[in-house]
Amino acid sequence: MALLRCENVTKRFGGLVAVDSMTFEIDSGELMAIVGPNGAGKTTMFNLINGVFPADEGKIWFEDLDVTNFPAYKRAHLGMGRTFQIPRPFASASVQENIAIGAMFGSAGAEINVERAMEMADHYIEIIGLKKHRDKPAGGLTPTEKKLVEIARALAMKPRLLLMDEAMAGMNPKDIDGMVSFIRHIRDTEGIAIVSMVEHIMRAVAGLAERVIVMHQGALLVDEPTREALTDPRVVEVYLGHPPEEIDAQG
Amino acid sequence: MRRAQRYYPIIPVLVAYAMLLGYGLLFPGKWQLVAQLAFYCTLGQAFNLFMGMTGYVDFGYVAFIGIGTYGMAISIYYLYDKGLGLFIVVIGFILAAIFSTLLSLAVGAVALRLRGAYFAIATIGVNEGFRYLIEGARIWNGADGIIFSLHLKKAVGRETMMVLSTFWADVLVFTVAIAAAVLTLVFMRNKVGYALMALRMDEDAAKVMGINVTKYKIIAFITSATLAGLLGAAAWALKLTYIYPVDAFAIHYTVEAIIIVLLGGAGTLMGPIVGGLIYGVAKYFLAIVLPGFQLLIFAPIIITIIVIFPEGTVGILKKRVMGTALQKYII
Amino acid sequence: MIFEQLAGNLVQGLVLGAVYGMATMGLSLIFGVLQIVNVGHGAFIMVGAFTALMMFQALGIPPVIALPAALILGMLLGMVIYYAAVKPLVSPSGSGIRKPSGRDAGIAVAIFISLMVVMRFLSGYYKLHTAFSIFVGLLFLYGLLLYVYGGRRQEKAAELATLLVTFAFGVILEEFVKQLFTSEARGYNWDIGKLDIGITVLPYTKLLAALGSVSIAVILYLWFNKTRAGMAMRSVVEDSVGARVCGVNVDWQYALSFSLGIGLTVTSGVLLTMFIPVGINPYMGGPYTLKAFVIAVLGGLASPYGAFFGGLVFGLIENGSYTLFAVIPGVEPFALTRFFSFLILLVILLIRPTGLLRAK
Ligand SMILES: Nc1ncnc2c1ncn2[C@@H]1O[C@H](COP(=O)(O)OP(=O)(O)O)[C@@H](O)[C@H]1O
Ligand SMILES: [Mg+2]
Repeated sequence: MALLRCENVTKRFGGLVAVDSMTFEIDSGELMAIVGPNGAGKTTMFNLINGVFPADEGKIWFEDLDVTNFPAYKRAHLGMGRTFQIPRPFASASVQENIAIGAMFGSAGAEINVERAMEMADHYIEIIGLKKHRDKPAGGLTPTEKKLVEIARALAMKPRLLLMDEAMAGMNPKDIDGMVSFIRHIRDTEGIAIVSMVEHIMRAVAGLAERVIVMHQGALLVDEPTREALTDPRVVEVYLGHPPEEIDAQG
Repeated sequence: MRRAQRYYPIIPVLVAYAMLLGYGLLFPGKWQLVAQLAFYCTLGQAFNLFMGMTGYVDFGYVAFIGIGTYGMAISIYYLYDKGLGLFIVVIGFILAAIFSTLLSLAVGAVALRLRGAYFAIATIGVNEGFRYLIEGARIWNGADGIIFSLHLKKAVGRETMMVLSTFWADVLVFTVAIAAAVLTLVFMRNKVGYALMALRMDEDAAKVMGINVTKYKIIAFITSATLAGLLGAAAWALKLTYIYPVDAFAIHYTVEAIIIVLLGGAGTLMGPIVGGLIYGVAKYFLAIVLPGFQLLIFAPIIITIIVIFPEGTVGILKKRVMGTALQKYII
Repeated sequence: MIFEQLAGNLVQGLVLGAVYGMATMGLSLIFGVLQIVNVGHGAFIMVGAFTALMMFQALGIPPVIALPAALILGMLLGMVIYYAAVKPLVSPSGSGIRKPSGRDAGIAVAIFISLMVVMRFLSGYYKLHTAFSIFVGLLFLYGLLLYVYGGRRQEKAAELATLLVTFAFGVILEEFVKQLFTSEARGYNWDIGKLDIGITVLPYTKLLAALGSVSIAVILYLWFNKTRAGMAMRSVVEDSVGARVCGVNVDWQYALSFSLGIGLTVTSGVLLTMFIPVGINPYMGGPYTLKAFVIAVLGGLASPYGAFFGGLVFGLIENGSYTLFAVIPGVEPFALTRFFSFLILLVILLIRPTGLLRAK
């Protein structure tokens, strides 16, 4: 049984089809990547999955429950976690409070009171290694630290599906390697499906994902195991923009 | 123990109100001023519960005070000869709470589904709209208002009426202020407060974190509105013993509420007290020195705060005491 | 009988509606470009009304001639407010300024003060008043503080901040005008004859006001669609990032559209007095703010033309409902009409906040 199933999901902004009839599945515990050039519609796809805005067409199932018309907070309760492309921690709340908010309102939130949430937050602060910043406002952290806080906040929600929007954008190769092994570690210890979105950091895709979905102009181009996807000529074309001959022809 | 510590910040609040009340009791000549200051603190405290906690401005807030005033007025006006004695005042408070809650539900049902700018647009007409409904459909005597001093006198007697209007009404205002402060702290220390904090800073991210933002906004909105209704019943109805729609729904009071909350620091517990005192005292002296100029002086101050010091007095203080022994007490 | 009256009032409503429409275009322009709701909208209309009044009474200049003066005054006011208090809060690119330059603040405060001195001069109010000096002192202090500390662009709360700032400027204008002219209601009488069309009588002043409104709307339309400057501003509405990439100076466009929006609003105040030359007082703007919001959401908050058509519709609704309410015994038709317009606002916001008239 698939954890998440999208069927012909479409989103338009005015005349622009940002997500064009996407159909795919994600299994429990899977580690996969959605890649595609800038503007391919990856972020929009994430927003549709976790309900930031509704899809114009198509259906979305989460564990066989039709969540197409569920608001974002209900999807979060079901077990969808999310980080943002540009990190959005609650700026003037402390790191601990940020993470505690995830615990309080996430999939197990109903049983977790404030004190318990704070304890859980401490646990996740330990995991991301930001203990010294525990009581500092999250708005003052570095971008990478903000990303970590976001991940911890999402993990504290105890999700079964974690959507990470460009978790590695703007990082140097060393940080990318660190992040890749961190994400793998999370998947193994927490046992959740993780979909990471990458723009064009192939190094990360290769090290991270078991399966890759390539999006191009809103549509699904390729859905294959990582090894095949990375060598697929269609993918190469999308990333270079044009097949090599054409570039030559244009001078 | 840790649990109890989390509620320590109520101590300075209680001390502040006790000092203000004590000052009024010790110097009866200053009771008027103290009553005025208590009104401003309460106004700020109640308004802060919504504006400060959610980051939404309700420009029609005065409507809740007005409708609460009507709740008390109606109780006295229609029930004075039923032999209920002081009980009509209790009924008045109940009506005030019910009216303001119902109005906030009606307004909230439309406005709280809207974001930012659209919320402001939806609320800015509420007070005017309600005033014109009362005047236009001639509800509760329409524009002629309700004058119920004679009714109150008949119901409770002359002596009781005097102390009720000049003393107990003000004590009740203090009670509303403390209730509002306690509720604010309880919210802050529980999930409601964290949900509101999250949605104030980033509503979309809050939704994605599993927060039912509409639910929490409604909780804050109704609580804040109901407190405003009680404030109207105590500070306006019982003290003035008359009400005209044109006064009860004047946007002027919303302006004052905004100034007080911003001066003190939106979203802080102590802010409304500090803001209310600064505003009240400044207004008191400006009224002597420069009558009629208060708003012309305060409006640039609001802009200064918004643009340059958005945290307000207590917000800045809070940062200062971070890491010191006072940290536990000031939020 | 009632039908004739209704028809007559609807004609009046249509004429007034044109003015209403024009009076809302500035609000929509500012929202369209900057996503800022000018909560002080009505106060700027009031400034226009006083401009017309003073020019007519003190200098004998007919309101039609006062229009360009009002536009210039409004645009200046808009520029000042933008640089003094809006720019520090909003930043077009998302990053950008944290601190406006000292020059920005200095210029803004200087212009503000000179404007007020001019207004004092115009009003013939020479006695130097302590409170006035304190007020000016506060403005200086503001400029100084802004220079020292810089504006705090608030990431997510910018919306709240801009609402409060425009609101506060509205209050400043109201209180300032109150100090100059007291809060008593004034009026002027510019009689240039009237047109009798059978079902109703239309003074030429009203027709001129409507004609002026339509002309301004048309000019604005042509400016937006046929001139480079207008198209640059439109490009910012449609896609501010794209416009920036294409070399449009977005910051300047922000300043310009805020200024133009305020200018149009002040101008519309002149036109409104041509329609209703009485009841001019510092607090007259409040009801217009509310009306403008109804009109703007009718036409789609971000579209000046939508606002214009919204104004026409609103003029019809207002006069039509007034006529009908007047028939019901035991009610106050005037107050009920105002309540009704508020109800319309809520209903539109409930079913379609982005505008009823907006073409899909
Ligand atoms: N809220 C929105 N309104 C209008 N257009 C949008 C919006 N969000 C995204 N788009 C457009 O949709 C397309 C896909 O964007 P996005 O999903 O962010 O791509 P990616 O994340 O793959 O870079 C882009 O052309 C973008 O401009
Ligand atoms: Mg993206």
